Amino acid sequence: MPLKNTSIVSGAQTKFGYLDGISQREMFAEAVDKATVEVGIPKKDIQAAFVGTFIPEMLIHQGHSAPLLLDFAGLRGLPATRHEAACASGATALRAAVMAIESGFYDTVLVAGSEKMTSVSTNRATEALAAAADDMFESSMGLTFPGVFAIAAVAHMEKYGTSPEDLALAAVKAHKNASTNPLAQFQKEITLEKAMTPRYIAWPLRLFDCSPISDGAAAIVLTSKEKAKQYTDTPVDVVGTGQASASMNLCDREDFTSFEASVSASKTAYKMAGLGPKDMDFAVVHDCFTIAEIIASEDIGFFKPGEGAKALRDGVTALDGDKPINPMGGLKAVGHPVGATGVKQAVVVYRELIGEAGANQVAKHDTGFMHNFGGTGASCVVNIFRRSDA
Amino acid sequence: MSEKPTIEQYIKNIDEHNFKAYKCVGCGAVTAPPSGTCYSCGGNEMDWTTVSGKGKLVSFTVIHIAPEEFQEEAPYFVAIIELEEGTRITTRLMGFDPMAPENVKLGTSLVLDYEDGKSGRTYLSFKPA
Repeated sequence: MPLKNTSIVSGAQTKFGYLDGISQREMFAEAVDKATVEVGIPKKDIQAAFVGTFIPEMLIHQGHSAPLLLDFAGLRGLPATRHEAACASGATALRAAVMAIESGFYDTVLVAGSEKMTSVSTNRATEALAAAADDMFESSMGLTFPGVFAIAAVAHMEKYGTSPEDLALAAVKAHKNASTNPLAQFQKEITLEKAMTPRYIAWPLRLFDCSPISDGAAAIVLTSKEKAKQYTDTPVDVVGTGQASASMNLCDREDFTSFEASVSASKTAYKMAGLGPKDMDFAVVHDCFTIAEIIASEDIGFFKPGEGAKALRDGVTALDGDKPINPMGGLKAVGHPVGATGVKQAVVVYRELIGEAGANQVAKHDTGFMHNFGGTGASCVVNIFRRSDA
Repeated sequence: MSEKPTIEQYIKNIDEHNFKAYKCVGCGAVTAPPSGTCYSCGGNEMDWTTVSGKGKLVSFTVIHIAPEEFQEEAPYFVAIIELEEGTRITTRLMGFDPMAPENVKLGTSLVLDYEDGKSGRTYLSFKPA
């Protein structure tokens, strides 16, 4: 049964990247202001906040983030709860907010995600990220996040013939799309040759196969359909949502060429929306690594297993292709401030749907799909959005 | 082998080069690393079992950029091995060149050994059979 009552009425993000001298609470407040008062939504209308942030305890020595961030953003007093699911923190916050509106408990809520990652050394940030894998049985072997996705890449290459060049093409596409996105960390195109520079992070993944360490924040306002028109002429409805978990340990999985939480969350969301992959005009997927985009494009049903790389090679997933994926540049080139990512993905889908994506506007934009992935793929949230007037 | 298996003892066994897996008392399925519940039957009563040490390579990577603790060991292999008993574990690999990973073939038969790393940790490590 499609969701009936939840609309997105605004969405905004800060610039992503190395935001020197800007703290987590400052970027959080910037995103909140952009999504509320700056578009005419009074803060007093917000009844609760759902906050995504992954691991500020290790990155900035700060816990209990939700009330702290809300207070700084001028929303002191509201019920404020943090949602954590590693890189899927933002979308789990969003999903909880959708359920709160859908149930009739609240009319209007804020969803905001953020992460401050560059105030510590790269080693320390890597160590913090590694906490999203099973510390006892996999991180303790020296397995890193690039390593996790490298293991998936090796399996995908063996089974389907996906090549290192295919991975590099995903990086080239991401940088090309991000080159016209003023909020992206990298606003520069790269050549295939550069993407294939043999600087290995975790073989066969090279430097340009990996998303960067970033700072940033994003926020959206959700409201009931009844109230939506008070805020905007172009509300976007949340028509389906799905979430699933899988084993933390890679070794406890049957197959590395697909992520079962992605497949399962997608099926749930499609079923709820009463729609299928063919009805989606475009998708925003969790491309923390190039191989992750290729596998996600298959797991969400856009392409058959093993055909994601071919679709990429043929330009099907390009900004002007039949099924654009990550039209604004994805995590890979826009940046990946972990707790912000899931909310930022919703912002991207929202902007594309209402036709305000500028140079990155996709041609068909009635219905959009977002896929946010946590850690080793142990969490996945999928949401389907549709413009109210579509 | 009748005491209730614990993760602490599982890790200690590896440190002592004496690997043991969990075995479901209910259905006999072998599990490693430890799980609180049997993946086959859902039972939660476990015992220790020894394994043959034979396995096959399912997938792998070579870590070049390592967390600080493992930096001196890089580049190093991390692999997923399927044991003859059916369970899969994450281990290191020995006897292959980390600078020529393209020569490592998936499905290769391997045997269990141990590696005492510069990190101070003892790893399960597999080498060509």
